[in-house]
Amino acid sequence: MSDVTLKNVRKSYGALEVIHGIDLDIRSGEFVVFVGPSGCGKSTLLRMIAGLEAISGGDIGIGGRVVNNVPSPQRGIAMVFQSYALYPHMSVYENMAFGLRLSKAPQAEIDRRVNEAARILQIESYLSRMPKQLSGGQRQRVAIGRAIVRDPKVFLFDEPLSNLDAALRAQTRVEIAKLHETLDATMIYVTHDQVEAMTLADKIVVLNAGVIEQVGTPLELYRSPANTFVAEFIGGNKMNLLPVKGSASGVALPNGRTVPFAGSDLSHAVTLGVRPEHLERVGADSAQISGAVEVIEQLGEFAIVHFRTREGDEMTIKLGGAPDIALHEDIHVALDPAVGHVFDDAGRALRAPAG
Amino acid sequence: MKYQLHPWLASNLWVLVALAIPAIFLIGALLYFTGWALAFSFTDLELVGRKAVNWSWVGFDNYARLFTRRGFLESLWTTTIFSFFSAIVGQSVLGFLLAATLRTQRSVLRGVIEATIMLGWLVPDIVAAFLWSATTAQTGLINNLIITPLGFEPVNFINEFALPVVIIANIWKGTAWSYLLFSAALDSVSREVVEAAKVDGATAFQRVWRVILPIIRPHIATNMLFITIWTFTYFPLIYALTGGGPGRQTEVLAIFLYKQSFMVGKLGYGSAISVAMLVIVGVLSLFYLRLLKEPK
Repeated sequence: MSDVTLKNVRKSYGALEVIHGIDLDIRSGEFVVFVGPSGCGKSTLLRMIAGLEAISGGDIGIGGRVVNNVPSPQRGIAMVFQSYALYPHMSVYENMAFGLRLSKAPQAEIDRRVNEAARILQIESYLSRMPKQLSGGQRQRVAIGRAIVRDPKVFLFDEPLSNLDAALRAQTRVEIAKLHETLDATMIYVTHDQVEAMTLADKIVVLNAGVIEQVGTPLELYRSPANTFVAEFIGGNKMNLLPVKGSASGVALPNGRTVPFAGSDLSHAVTLGVRPEHLERVGADSAQISGAVEVIEQLGEFAIVHFRTREGDEMTIKLGGAPDIALHEDIHVALDPAVGHVFDDAGRALRAPAG
Repeated sequence: MKYQLHPWLASNLWVLVALAIPAIFLIGALLYFTGWALAFSFTDLELVGRKAVNWSWVGFDNYARLFTRRGFLESLWTTTIFSFFSAIVGQSVLGFLLAATLRTQRSVLRGVIEATIMLGWLVPDIVAAFLWSATTAQTGLINNLIITPLGFEPVNFINEFALPVVIIANIWKGTAWSYLLFSAALDSVSREVVEAAKVDGATAFQRVWRVILPIIRPHIATNMLFITIWTFTYFPLIYALTGGGPGRQTEVLAIFLYKQSFMVGKLGYGSAISVAMLVIVGVLSLFYLRLLKEPK
């Protein structure tokens, strides 16, 4: 059993509370990603699970045992740090063997486990090198190797890819996914990058200002964000949010046109959310919203077009390929109520699109 | 390694030459004085009297005297004890412990301790000597505050525990340097590396011994190099405090050298002592410089 449970976990520094009572169940073997903007408390939460930060309130359980006062090494966890945190004075082999040496494991056992981890990560050829002779990507592998050697119940990753360049980050992301498949261990992964969260997680925990905004699978969060924070945070391109007036039958756009939503009472609606990829570019006659193009981000495969509506709201639309549009031109869009998100004045979702 | 000269400098070489002049004078003066000391060490030159004028070459007589006459070897031993306990054990270990424990503190206590050890460093040697002399005297603070109230006879510390008093005074005087150096060194150790060791199961002692100390080893070697050189040739505080006494209990090499040269007046012998000190410090420095190098 290697599930992790958090019950009303709190953290405060003096009078300042930074984690406000987190409840979370992580099942054995799950890949859970804590995601949120910097300062949201995600790293602090991870460090509390690791035993590097004291818990101010609540309980943390690992494998069915409350570990609030259990020192890190006895929690059955291994941690991969953002800076890799390799011991600079030890070879790659010794870096990975350090934990086993401290626990007085026999040399044959150390050899076996270090070589096994090195094989999985394909770092066998530089076991005798020093960390400073390695590239960033290689150091990252050694850091992961050091975690594997400990044979932990739970792997903790603290923004492990943020020091790598973009290409290496994408590649390592895939390798971490494979590693999870191979090791079948519980993994908790902290990142501020929603792409990492979406691609790696079985379950995403969106944190903001010390509270959980939403927990769910990547698709659940993408399709049914519980509030405007999650709606804006999750998704490759930031969701458009428009001020609207709700009514029993639908919502009225700033330009007065009504988007009908059947079957739900939306009289408290104040915000309409629609993702750039769900907007449709149409001709002037069937337009629901019209505006002038301000920026075109051309990415080849698709383009993100930023435009300002006649009412002054900024919006973006994602258009496939290389769209035939120029700066300052008029653009007309329509939205299908099936893909619209509606939020009340507290930012809570009133209605999620179907599918 | 090949150095590239800045383009501006390359076309204005006279600037380099001009800048080199003070250095050349300085190095020249150092070599000149060292050369004279070396030359005198092979003579029977004296400060006053006939041999101050009509000196003669005596070969290695002065060096032989270092080992055959009483004085040098005893002083070397005293200096070794003094350096080992006040610099290497005292200043270094105490400086490290203070740096390691205080760096996590943000309290008034830290400020007080830092100010205290800085004061020790900043107070002139002669003033420090007077303070220690007064504090440890038979009618001094320690006797009045601790010894007498406990019902013991007052102790004249400088007479009865001369070397320990001098060692403690020098620890007090010099710990600030080691503290500052180790504080900076510890700041250079990544917090995550120490935490990684914690997760790996290292106890506090193992984290220090197997992770932090190896990482700051070059800093330790640098510190050792400096404080050994300073302490080995240290003169003013000891001289002002005890004058080398009582008897010759605190007669370190610097004081022995001073007495032989300027009180006894044997400049030739004194020069030989200084050359011997130079050699000893040089050998120690080589040892530390080896430590500074990264392991292959």
